[in-house]
Amino acid sequence: MSALEARQVHVRFGDRVVLEEMNFSVAPGELHGIMGPNGAGKTTFFNVLTGRVRPSRGHVLVDGKDVTGLPPHRIAALGVARSFQIMTLFDEFSALENVALARPAFRAQALHGHRAAIGDPEADAAARLVLDEVGLGSKAHVLARDLSYGERRALEIAVALAQEPRVLCLDEPTSGLGSDGIARIAEMVRRLKGRLAIVAIEHDMEFLFGLADRISVVHWGQVIAHGRPDELKANPWVRRSNLGRFG
Amino acid sequence: MSEPILRLDGIRKIYRKGMLDRTPTFQLQADLVFEQSAIVGVVGPNGAGKTTLFEMITGSNTPSAGKVMVAGADIHRVRYGERDRLAIHYHQSYQVRSFRRILPSFMLDRSPTRQPILHLFDEPQFNTQDGYIGFMLDFFRRLRAEGKLVFVCLHPTARYHLEILNEIGESFLLVHGGRAERKGSFAELVHDPRVEAYLGHEMTAAAHAL
Repeated sequence: MSALEARQVHVRFGDRVVLEEMNFSVAPGELHGIMGPNGAGKTTFFNVLTGRVRPSRGHVLVDGKDVTGLPPHRIAALGVARSFQIMTLFDEFSALENVALARPAFRAQALHGHRAAIGDPEADAAARLVLDEVGLGSKAHVLARDLSYGERRALEIAVALAQEPRVLCLDEPTSGLGSDGIARIAEMVRRLKGRLAIVAIEHDMEFLFGLADRISVVHWGQVIAHGRPDELKANPWVRRSNLGRFG
Repeated sequence: MSEPILRLDGIRKIYRKGMLDRTPTFQLQADLVFEQSAIVGVVGPNGAGKTTLFEMITGSNTPSAGKVMVAGADIHRVRYGERDRLAIHYHQSYQVRSFRRILPSFMLDRSPTRQPILHLFDEPQFNTQDGYIGFMLDFFRRLRAEGKLVFVCLHPTARYHLEILNEIGESFLLVHGGRAERKGSFAELVHDPRVEAYLGHEMTAAAHAL
């Protein structure tokens, strides 16, 4: 069964086609990449998957259960976490605090009001593990605003991971990064791969073709091509382009 | 299916200067039938009416006269929210056209199809660097294989645009001088003196060489 699935999802604004007949699935442990030109509907599709936009038609399923129309926090509670193209960190908090705040244990405690999770040794240790995972172990006490751009992107992913998701949706994780930063994110994603389902929107083709099990090419609000990286690279027009450089 | 996918039955569109001065500023007429699935290349100079034609076909712009029949249904008589189940217009413009709601939906017909049978691509951005062209052309072919009628409107400004038209177009539609008319082949299209004039000397030579 797919960890996350979209069936015939449509989104319309007036007569403008934003998503038309979008079909998509990701299996547990699989990395399914999404590529496509600007304005193709990729981010809107993420917004549908995570409950921020309700589709005009069609369904979203988490582990086979229909979640269409559920609010974002309910879908997150089912194990779907996302990072954003525009970063959403608490700048005045340390890296460790940003991660601790996102952990389900903290959210549960905050609800019950027992104790503050920040400074709690057990919570700190769990948050540290997540920071180690994204290579920010040594920056635990640095304020988010003082981190470099690349470190902030890594922290953004750590915040999503702190929610202990079964599906991680990454919206352009390498955007704005130089080659070192991209390599660092690629290394992190490679380590995560296989442990949870990952959906990654990405413009960096080397990143995507090197890491993805399957790729969906999204254009005009639908999947116009789909396959393994080697299958997609066989197209003659693709070989003529910059994409043809990889492999 | 016994009905043609698209029939433009005496379509006329006239824009006039104003309510008092009735001088036409734009005119377009089309009488065309597309029986079966195909990939049709649509070309013509800017302002000739390619986009207006597409809007009339998808039911978002009402013709001055005539009928647009899609899969046997008059699309301008189909419920606004169901017209995209018949025909769909992909455009880059940020201007969103809303369907002009003249009649309440319950007075209109249901769409005879669930999924659009007619796909209109309005000047899609083709870029040889990013590799998407190959996926886009394969997608047009997939739609055609699924029984859809596909219109690809392209404004040829580079040699590879002509290559694309030649590679995928089975027939062509020339929108020029207030008329939309069919051309049976790429050769027939690019040897039309009006197309030669519109392409210019260099592009015409490239087109003839293909």
